[in-house]
Amino acid sequence: MKPKVAFFDFAGCEGDQLQVANLEEELLALLGQVEVVSFREVMKEQSDDYDIAFVEGSCTRLQDEERLKQIRSNAKIVVAIGSCATIGGINSLRNYKDLDQVRKTVYGEQAKLFDTYAARPIDAVVKVDAYVHGCPINQKEFLQVVKSLLMGKRPDIPTYPVCVECKKNENVCAFERGEFCVGPVTRAGCDSCCVNEGTVCWGCRGLVDNPNENSQKEILIKYGLTVDDAIGKFKMYFGWQEAKR
Amino acid sequence: MRILSKEDFADFVNALIKDDAWDVIGVKAKGDKFAFGPLESAGELRLDYDVTLLPPKKYFFPQRETLFTYNLAGGFSAKNPAEAKPTVILGVHPYDIIALFHMDEIFRETKSDPYYFDKRKSSIIIGVNIQKMSKWNFSPFMGCATVDYGYDLMLTDLGNRYAISVGSQKGGELLSKYAKNVTEALARDIQLVGQKKREIVNMSQQKFDFSPELIPELLKKTYEESDFWERHSEKCLACGSCVLVCPTCYCFDVKDDPDLSLNQGERIRTWDGCLLEDFAKVASGENFRATRPTRYRHRYFKKGKYLFDRFGFISCVGCGRCSSNCLPDIANPVNLFNDMYREHAHNGVQVAVAESPKVSIQTEGNIDYVPNLATIIKKEQMTTNEMFLEIKLDDGSDLGHKPGQFVEVSVFGVGEAPISLSSPPTKRGSFEICVRKLGNVTTKLHMLKVGDRVGIRGPFGNGFDLDFLKGKNLLFVAGGLGIAPLRSLFNYVLDNRKDFGHVSLLYGCKEPRELLFKDEMVALQSRPDVEFKSAVNWCPDGEAWTGSIGVITTLIPQVSFDPDNIYAIICGPPVMYKYVIGDLKARKVPDDHIIVSLERRMKCGVGKCGHCQINEIYVCKDGPVFNYSKIKGVPEAL
Ligand SMILES: Cc1cc2nc3c(=O)[nH]c(=O)nc-3n(C[C@H](O)[C@H](O)[C@H](O)COP(=O)(O)OP(=O)(O)OC[C@H]3O[C@@H](n4cnc5c(N)ncnc54)[C@H](O)[C@@H]3O)c2cc1C
Ligand code: SF4
Ligand code: SF4
Ligand code: SF4
Ligand code: SF4
Ligand code: SF4
Ligand code: FES
Repeated sequence: MKPKVAFFDFAGCEGDQLQVANLEEELLALLGQVEVVSFREVMKEQSDDYDIAFVEGSCTRLQDEERLKQIRSNAKIVVAIGSCATIGGINSLRNYKDLDQVRKTVYGEQAKLFDTYAARPIDAVVKVDAYVHGCPINQKEFLQVVKSLLMGKRPDIPTYPVCVECKKNENVCAFERGEFCVGPVTRAGCDSCCVNEGTVCWGCRGLVDNPNENSQKEILIKYGLTVDDAIGKFKMYFGWQEAKR
Repeated sequence: MRILSKEDFADFVNALIKDDAWDVIGVKAKGDKFAFGPLESAGELRLDYDVTLLPPKKYFFPQRETLFTYNLAGGFSAKNPAEAKPTVILGVHPYDIIALFHMDEIFRETKSDPYYFDKRKSSIIIGVNIQKMSKWNFSPFMGCATVDYGYDLMLTDLGNRYAISVGSQKGGELLSKYAKNVTEALARDIQLVGQKKREIVNMSQQKFDFSPELIPELLKKTYEESDFWERHSEKCLACGSCVLVCPTCYCFDVKDDPDLSLNQGERIRTWDGCLLEDFAKVASGENFRATRPTRYRHRYFKKGKYLFDRFGFISCVGCGRCSSNCLPDIANPVNLFNDMYREHAHNGVQVAVAESPKVSIQTEGNIDYVPNLATIIKKEQMTTNEMFLEIKLDDGSDLGHKPGQFVEVSVFGVGEAPISLSSPPTKRGSFEICVRKLGNVTTKLHMLKVGDRVGIRGPFGNGFDLDFLKGKNLLFVAGGLGIAPLRSLFNYVLDNRKDFGHVSLLYGCKEPRELLFKDEMVALQSRPDVEFKSAVNWCPDGEAWTGSIGVITTLIPQVSFDPDNIYAIICGPPVMYKYVIGDLKARKVPDDHIIVSLERRMKCGVGKCGHCQINEIYVCKDGPVFNYSKIKGVPEAL
């Protein structure tokens, strides 16, 4: 029997589900291997009977926790997809600000009605079996993870930083172009795609397990950033991870 | 030496490009930097470059390379990748030519790597003498700024013309076939080339404060100075840039990449590096080089000492790529070695030039990365986590192993794992292994059924020296899964009992339910010709246990022996060795009477991928069986 697959979204932009929906040819091949029972991006029907749950977006309210726990208990395997779900993502940028202030800016006068709390990755709430990092996720890696899960294999997620892929791709380093990059502390797996395109790594896949943050900040400053800007570079995606370290 | 005007040279390059028989690669601009890439016209070629981002080794040992493709549908078939297309590589600097020579030696030692040499043999190297030197380059100090070998043609820019040295017949033929108006060099031009080469040697902006010949000895004296390594590696990002850009680094990882059908796919190898955090980490969680200083140190030792001892050359050509790519600026060998030298000189330590090692590189055939097919013929769950498997090669042949050797077991689509042979060679027609469920391959092996196919490469490793052990008294000490490799020798001894003296087996594991080969252990208890003792760390209430309680060393006082007349054979989890060896030494067992079998992370099994290294030793090739007297001075060993 084909494993049943469902997609869910929390606070996020659904960009990752779009990446999946846009797989086209590969999606067809993939559909040969699984049965999709819930996927708002492409279908209307919904079902509570599934084996693998792909969850996008971060947990930003207490109410999210309940729904997430329900998904966890329905699914055999829970996969976090996209950096909002895997590391708290761009949502955790606001964790640096006073949350009351955030509520007021976002919801204006009605702020009191919405109880948001520090944005967090879903593994802060439930056990997660596999991760597809990235903002948005990389299609190739998504397929890699799905293949691994179907074969009963632990997906191969790099523990080394983006620089490894960047060097293999023979890019001119951002720092040599007068730009600033957090690739040296960011988990690889995206094939350094942003640097390949001529930009820099912003850290969307989150910190590696043992980042040398001091050294990275020192480098940013050595190459010309102010201390505040260097710290700012870390805030974009590493908010939740940094707070926990 | 020949002369070719620059116009004629451009025609020569364009003629090469036009001929489909060749892939023509050359140095091109990439942003403000340079990189080797396919040439579309001679105009793209930038022979005035300083250094390329990556060295030309990527054409012989690519970032990602298919070892074979497999298809499981309708049985199993494996296909080697297509043969390499003839390639001309234009504009290689001398230091990179010498680096390729280093790679040749590494890839041909013991067994030759067919993927590398296929491409090497079908390529033509056209070198060029350095015109601009990168500010990080220190190749003159390493004797690698100019070169007299290793190229098919070598160019020197003489203004409006190139002087061309022909280094091989292939090179000469290429020139006569594709170049027009080639003339013999006049004495004046030959002189000019000599003068240019002398100038190159003075072009480096880096400076060694001492002769780099001292590096191997200097390193040796600094190994234990953890403070030195900690200070220098404090800013290390474990980003691996320094090794990934190096023209003489060759470590790799091996992985399976199935396609979406899950039925077919390829096994690939990709560049890896010893600076990366998990490089020496094994599935049980042990990381044999867990800290930044130890990984950082390993790189310098590999270049300056281990490869020197093995091949007779310092495996750094001074290209300066590591220095320029390390963002915290801690990877420059010149700075590190100067610091090292200064600190030693300050402390009055004398350093002599190391004696050149006697090197003789032997090559015996090719490495075969494609496994032989084999079938599981028996399967038995031994404990919750350990599975016994009996396997038969599909071609019906015997594996022909020695006790103590291992095989690389493949589950196609998942990967390969080194597993010890657990059966003695006296068992014919099939062999046995015992697999602990820890990661991907081992978990999958547990799920396979009798009749399922696996891939087998090997046997690999040295194994136990049976001739030497004959007639000796033997004391086996096995901890947990360590019984798996020891059983191949132990059962061999039982099968040839009269050839050996007194035999004891001490076996320990965590708790009774983790005991492996239980039936055989029970049978041992009634055998008069072996002494058997067992221990568990703890015994839960209600479980039967007649052996001792405690760690394995509690068993050592229970056996009596004459230390000078016994050989101890030890295998177990990494923590075990220190304690067991300590206790044996306390009982006056001489060092060279202690034999250990070691585990490390492994990928290739044949001394190439670098993963299993403990200092200068390759466990897969020089081990996994070691005499303790030979490795007690090897700091990373135990
Ligand atoms: C000489 C030798 C003999 C061994 N004998 C046995 C045995 O008889 N029975 C047994 O159960 N195990 C044995 N091991 C350990 C076994 O190889 C690992 O548990 C196994 O490689 C884990 O692979 P995995 O794919 O299941 O784990 P993963 O964690 O998925 O590992 C991924 C890859 O990393 C490498 N790797 C991880 N751990 C190790 C390791 N400990 N040793 C070498 N490579 C590793 C392998 O290439 C592996 O494919 C032996 C190891 C060595 C070196
Ligand atoms: S990870 Fe990025 S793409 Fe995905 S939901 Fe969050 S913001 Fe959108
Ligand atoms: S561009 Fe960024 S990721 Fe690439 S090497 Fe430089 S720092 Fe590393
Ligand atoms: S390069 Fe950096 S920002 Fe871009 S996808 Fe990779 S991790 Fe994310
Ligand atoms: S020494 Fe430098 S280049 Fe090498 S891993 Fe450390 S930080 Fe990266
Ligand atoms: S160690 Fe550094 S300088 Fe030496 S060959 Fe490698 S990259 Fe070049
Ligand atoms: S060198 Fe590859 S396993 Fe030993």
